[in-house]
Amino acid sequence: MTHLLLLIDWSQFKPEKIFGGQILERTPAGLSIVYLIGVGILIGFLVMTFLDNFRRPKFVFEQNLPKEVRRKLTQTIANRGLYVWQVLFVILALFVFGFQVYWTKFADDSNEQFQALSYKDLRNRRINSANLRGWMLDRTGKLDAALALYKVEKDGSVERTFPLEKEMAHLLGTERGTPGLERTLYKKEVEPMPEAWEILTKYKKPEPEQKDVRTTIDKNLQSYVAQQLEGKKGAIVVLNPQTGDVLAMYSNPSFNLAEAQNLSSYLKLEANKDQKPLLDRATREFYVPGSTFKTLTMMAAFRAGKEGTLLGDLPEGYIPFNGSRPIRDANGGCELCRNDVPLREAFKVSSNQYFAHLGNVLGRDRMGETARLLGIAAVDKASEAVTQGYFPDIWNASDRRIASALAPARATMVVGKDITLYDFGLEGMGQGLASQMTPFQMALIAATPANLQGRLMKPKIEADVPPQMFSQVLTPQQAAQVRDIMSTVTEEAGGTGGAVRQALAGTGIVAGGKTGTATKDGVPLFDPKTGERRFVLKKKKDENGQLVEYKDYLSFTRIDGWFICIAPLENPQVAIAVVIEDIGNRFGGQTAAPVAANVVLKARELGLLGDKYKPKAPPAKAPARKKK
Amino acid sequence: MFVTAISHYSIHYGALIRGYDTSSLTATRNILLLLFLAFLPVFLKRFIKFDGNWTLYTAAVLLFSIGLTAQYRLFSDPEYTSRKDKAEARQEKIKVLQMNYIQENYSAEKKQIMGLPPTPPGPIDLSTQTPRKSTDTLTEVLFSGNTVNPAIGILGMLIAFIMLRKEKVLDWLQKNGFLVVLLTLIPFLGAAALSHAGKFANMTPWEPAKIPCLVGFAAILSVLYKNLAKTYWGVPRAKDVLPLIVMAVMPFVPFFVLKDFGQMMVFSAVYATLYLIAVRRFSQRFVLVGSVLLVASILIVGALPDNTQAKIPLLPTVAAPVKKILPNRIQQRFHLWLDGFNPPSPETAWWKDDYDNYYKKLVEKDPNLPQMLAEDPELQKTINIDAWFDVLAFQPAQATFGLASGGMTGRGLGLGYPELIPVADSDYIFSALAEELGLFGGLLITFALIVFVSAGVRTARDSRDMFSKLCCIGLSAFIGFQALVNIGGITRALPMTGITLPFVSHGGFSLITSFVMLGMLMAFSHRNSVDRRRDTVEVKPQP
Repeated sequence: MTHLLLLIDWSQFKPEKIFGGQILERTPAGLSIVYLIGVGILIGFLVMTFLDNFRRPKFVFEQNLPKEVRRKLTQTIANRGLYVWQVLFVILALFVFGFQVYWTKFADDSNEQFQALSYKDLRNRRINSANLRGWMLDRTGKLDAALALYKVEKDGSVERTFPLEKEMAHLLGTERGTPGLERTLYKKEVEPMPEAWEILTKYKKPEPEQKDVRTTIDKNLQSYVAQQLEGKKGAIVVLNPQTGDVLAMYSNPSFNLAEAQNLSSYLKLEANKDQKPLLDRATREFYVPGSTFKTLTMMAAFRAGKEGTLLGDLPEGYIPFNGSRPIRDANGGCELCRNDVPLREAFKVSSNQYFAHLGNVLGRDRMGETARLLGIAAVDKASEAVTQGYFPDIWNASDRRIASALAPARATMVVGKDITLYDFGLEGMGQGLASQMTPFQMALIAATPANLQGRLMKPKIEADVPPQMFSQVLTPQQAAQVRDIMSTVTEEAGGTGGAVRQALAGTGIVAGGKTGTATKDGVPLFDPKTGERRFVLKKKKDENGQLVEYKDYLSFTRIDGWFICIAPLENPQVAIAVVIEDIGNRFGGQTAAPVAANVVLKARELGLLGDKYKPKAPPAKAPARKKK
Repeated sequence: MFVTAISHYSIHYGALIRGYDTSSLTATRNILLLLFLAFLPVFLKRFIKFDGNWTLYTAAVLLFSIGLTAQYRLFSDPEYTSRKDKAEARQEKIKVLQMNYIQENYSAEKKQIMGLPPTPPGPIDLSTQTPRKSTDTLTEVLFSGNTVNPAIGILGMLIAFIMLRKEKVLDWLQKNGFLVVLLTLIPFLGAAALSHAGKFANMTPWEPAKIPCLVGFAAILSVLYKNLAKTYWGVPRAKDVLPLIVMAVMPFVPFFVLKDFGQMMVFSAVYATLYLIAVRRFSQRFVLVGSVLLVASILIVGALPDNTQAKIPLLPTVAAPVKKILPNRIQQRFHLWLDGFNPPSPETAWWKDDYDNYYKKLVEKDPNLPQMLAEDPELQKTINIDAWFDVLAFQPAQATFGLASGGMTGRGLGLGYPELIPVADSDYIFSALAEELGLFGGLLITFALIVFVSAGVRTARDSRDMFSKLCCIGLSAFIGFQALVNIGGITRALPMTGITLPFVSHGGFSLITSFVMLGMLMAFSHRNSVDRRRDTVEVKPQP
């Protein structure tokens, strides 16, 4: 007998063999159900035996009594009371149980308060706590070039790591403050395990999950772009104008994500008003666009059919109306000093007079219309210019949360009737009331003529989202003409962006672009040592005539260098916007343009400009320069 | 016993999935305890000659076994048991789940990049994992309250049974009911005066006081109930009524000092039951029912949440004076009961202090808060909701979410999250059970309870004299109402009060008291059947 028992393979009867299979949870679920049934049967027996005993035992003497007497035999008042009480108790117990039924079955559907506050249920957090995010891959989609991944630490814990922690800090976003890609890019909720009986009967094992997201960012380009801005304040945005892919986007100064996790160091980052490391300058900081904005004015002229307008560029400057201050070129007088300057030449030398005049010639409606097509809010009053919030709709994203997380501050210009011709003229050349431009917006402006169809493509960060158009700004022919004019800046002698031509010499790449040197007034001055705002103590008389000391905060006029760039000209693959703050007495062409040229070179090296321009190992034979 | 063994294995396996091991010692202890309880009837029958109804005993043991299961589930969870390293234990559980996820979903290449051995995605093999070991040792298990309390309880049950079986003891009790109550009250009041926040050294040593109080009240009522029917101009004589009232009020004094409103609720329900069953005239019953209704309506009117009151005309004006008198704690409980998902405004008297404390802590963390608050008045609402659900409503809200997540058959033992509810092993054990066993689990407990109480009522009906009748119904009413007040508090049918679920909850004195009550009921049942047998024997010889 014992031999027989030993022969049986007892491990076959382990519960996990009976219920389990691939799903671990089946074993406890099945056992719980067995437990429930078991206890149920026991209680059933109990009830049955109890009911069996329930009938009042008969006394022997009552057999001879009449029926009425027998019935009343033990029916004292107290016993009747007991009976009533018992019934009441059963009702009460079922009533209390009914509330449990309510909470399990109906509260989810009918109790609004309960629904609204279900986020307070810690169970959700617990279910999601083990929910690993997907990996963020760069545009190559290779796992070893992941931008965000998990690593196993020495102590065995699983940690999220970012190879480009500082270089992509603004894009990734912090867990604490403004959300970024990290908090929005991946599928968020996990399905909780169903109830025990459903685990046992219906539940199927989910397929191995694929939550990784391929982004349009190029890892090498992103880190290169970050290098380029080292030690400077500013931002770079690199787009693919044909598809809207964001290839790289960086704002300096940046921060380490690890710093942002810790509350005290996060508060320190937040308190740093001088460097503002948490601010994403690429999308959330308004800059004066300077001459780069002339590209928009030029596009407006093409849309209006006024690209042939000849205007003056004179020593005394452009005087919008009688008694107005004149608008002069950057050198204080005139660049060309002629009466019949065409658009092409004015753009090349960046004539302020011409574009201020052109802006007024085109008028507010036309300028405003072009601006709207480019994603800029054209508002009526100066007071509305900085209250337009963010613009998530510009993004081509699979999920609204991604668009909101990356939404740029809404760029604005003022086209109302109230402003003078002088002020509107300034807008035409990129100063004055058109000063609410983000580098991101300027990259979009550059990308529009760079698109072969003359379209503004919605920017996108997910590689697997199909390209989408934001607006048709120019016809393909007009776009080609605009590109051609843009190339004069970099390619022709006397153009302001000559630095680009020098840098690209020998690569065969023809680029186009526009320089900008913008002056921004009233920028607060900080003490580089303490990080506090600088001030001088001054004395003034208060109402009582007493002398009181007060702090007079200092500010200065900051010069920012700009360059927007497209390359290669015949089929542009990159549209770049570079802004560098506080360049002193230099120009955008000297500061921002070389940076843009470097980015173009790097893009070429990485093959982003197409195989044609990809350098063949050492440059043995330079590819033939292609002329249009 | 077998069924409990199954449940324990389920818990063990569920625990393995989350990366911790359960204590096999505790499991063995539980099984042995139930084994002992299963064989106790043999002993009772053979040597003590128990002759009563077994339903009482069986129902109680069933409830107790369900309780053991739930406690085993909770106490084997390191996150639930550890006081200091809660966060660490939680992290460890999360880590295990993450690694499981990686093993199941990540490709070999991904694992290699992560620094793990490159294995293809596939199912998890639990036998290769090393779960966090349970730290229970033999001595700990043997001398923990979970072993000692049931042991004392069973001993108390036997003693109570053997004592009350005797006619003499009962007679003595009936005659000296007043003395019994007085003798209990003196140490009880002392403990109450020394107690702190309704607890005395984290225990409730006054639980056993229920029994003598009940016996005393039953004794005086069984003497007076006939006299109460004699009325003069509709009013019974003062010498009949006054001792009754004194007797009834006495236990309320210490409970009021303790602010233990749950016990007060149970006591008043039990006393009302006894009174209603003892008196004979309708008008007498009506007096009690009427006055109970009056007190209840005053309470409800006073403690109703403001926005509910506003819906009924004139009610706020009527309620204002009552509201001033009512203790804060009662108002809190009423709000939690009737409007628990709606935080009160931070200006409410009984909520202001807690809110301010919470707010202060927030400001310590983030000094910018007052400024942000000034800019955005909506923020205060958010803070208030957070504070409400983190401070006062945390436990009841999590319990309700637990109930809701249970569904029909529950998450499965070891698969739910009852460890999120603080002290889920005693007051809130029903929500832990409902989460993992669902509506069926709740139904089973309710049925077991109904059977127990019905068996108690049966015993009361079979009793020959008023005193034992009242004692029986009183004992069953104590257990029944205590369970109802507890379950009702969790399902929000009644305001939540901190009393335990008899036989199921983990508790020292309350468990012992419940077992002693069981022993008493068994003694009465035994006496009934002995009485009946005697009658039958006397009658039989007649042709």
